[in-house]
Amino acid sequence: MSKSTQPTHPKKVTTLAELQRNFISDCLSGKLRQNNILLAKEIDSSFISAQGLMGIYQNSAIANITNSLILTYPVIEKLVGSAFFSAMCREFIYVTWPKTGNMDDYGVEFPNFIAEFEHAKHLIYLKDVARLEWAFHKSSLANDAIIIDWSALAKVRDILKLTFILTPSLSLVHSTFPVDKIWHLNQENASSDFDLKLTDEQVDDHFILLFRKQLKTVVLPITVGEFAFLEAFDNQETFEQAIEIASAKQVGFSVDDSLKKFIELGVIIGFSESISS
Amino acid sequence: MEKIKGVGLGLRHKHFQEFIENKPEVPWLEVHTENFFSQHSTSSKYLAKIRQDYPISAHCVGLSVGSAAIACPVREQHLQQIKKTIDWLQPSMVSDHLSWSASDGVHYLPDLLPIPYTEEAFEVVTKNINHVQDVLQRQILIENPSSYLRFNDSTILEWDFLSVLSKTTGCGLLLDVNNIYVSAFNHGFDALTYLESLPVEAVKEIHLAGYSIDIIEGKEVYIDTHGQKVYDGVWQLYEKAIERFGAVPTLIEWDTDVPELSVLLAEKKKAEVIIAKVLSEQVA
Repeated sequence: MSKSTQPTHPKKVTTLAELQRNFISDCLSGKLRQNNILLAKEIDSSFISAQGLMGIYQNSAIANITNSLILTYPVIEKLVGSAFFSAMCREFIYVTWPKTGNMDDYGVEFPNFIAEFEHAKHLIYLKDVARLEWAFHKSSLANDAIIIDWSALAKVRDILKLTFILTPSLSLVHSTFPVDKIWHLNQENASSDFDLKLTDEQVDDHFILLFRKQLKTVVLPITVGEFAFLEAFDNQETFEQAIEIASAKQVGFSVDDSLKKFIELGVIIGFSESISS
Repeated sequence: MEKIKGVGLGLRHKHFQEFIENKPEVPWLEVHTENFFSQHSTSSKYLAKIRQDYPISAHCVGLSVGSAAIACPVREQHLQQIKKTIDWLQPSMVSDHLSWSASDGVHYLPDLLPIPYTEEAFEVVTKNINHVQDVLQRQILIENPSSYLRFNDSTILEWDFLSVLSKTTGCGLLLDVNNIYVSAFNHGFDALTYLESLPVEAVKEIHLAGYSIDIIEGKEVYIDTHGQKVYDGVWQLYEKAIERFGAVPTLIEWDTDVPELSVLLAEKKKAEVIIAKVLSEQVA
């Protein structure tokens, strides 16, 4: 290999591993300052300062991560605007850098961060919208549901002792804000059927089910009883216990209607014999 | 695996539906492998449909072949996820960059970070590429990076580093013409010298994209953003690349502010015109 024609500066030899640790430390250090850049002596700063050069990489990495967060939280971006979203992401990224190259797993802490973010604290519904978006993201990545042959149910002796199995793409979101309506209103081609009024003091609870049906993730409002019913199955409760829990939450809760509805939707995909008696 | 020819496009989420419904005339598509780690995901289901009509090339961004850390679980785990995705996708080509992202088991930066061109780095990259090719059981292509800084320790020219790397490891080269143009401007080297120094037989794919221009400390810096049309200077360099390397499969990349598909198709057409022109001149 021929040698570089670029001037080199004789100095101590830094190993590649050390150089790379310093590179990342500089990029993760938040606001870069000329006198605290670990790599300052390793890079050619004859044209642009080390601070300026490292800033390019820091900005590039932050832009990459922000783009990933935009894909996961598009409604949040739409609600707060692109500039605000980017600024909020920058603060989030400084405290929550990705740990791996699989960006599908990145951003679970964003809803809690939003709730504590000083400049967004007045948007009190924002955290729950973000929770809904994270649930949507996870749902779109979930494994496929393998639905059983329901005729096997007829052979079960004590149906009350069964536990029902839910689709892997299921998420349940509870909020005191109509976050499903906010989410729907901020989709492309959203209809304006919803009459949405937000106040600081919301009194109604909103229960939302998310699951994937073929290529589409469905965001569906459900009743408090249905929510409790599915949550009980998600917690491995038996059918009998799930009925008790759901009925305690909702007067007149219809077990038959709910079971039929969620089997038809592909939300309940199977059953197993309970281990406990 | 189908052999890839002609000018392909980077497949982005925004165009999934259009590729499924309208099947635009594009000879092949390239995907970012990392976007399909979950083979059950909605995106993977779209890709599985699109895959039925288009040959696919898999472009990775996180293999971190320039990483010095010897036992790096982050990198190893990433490689296994890539392998799983490659086994599922059966792409015609697999590529990544001459760069690094993971420094050790703890720190990771999702970007294509530069390496110093030293003997030590060459050994590291060689070892890592050999390992990747062993695990994937296939040749990978390594893309020349765009860069904004140079390390004082560098003693080897980037094009020499890549040339010898391809000979030593048997990897192919993915020639990103935009990256050469960007780095040549930022570092003041001659882009044509770069092109002319690479071994013809090693170059298996070409990338074309747009860059942006930033002003840093009063100086212009070209930034490889993949968010614009290909610049005229890059098209001119591309013509030189086709003259030297022949009608290598070429990709139009556009990753940020992704436009309507018609814009990408128009860029594709420009590349096709250049290939046709060069080939006809060579015949004449």
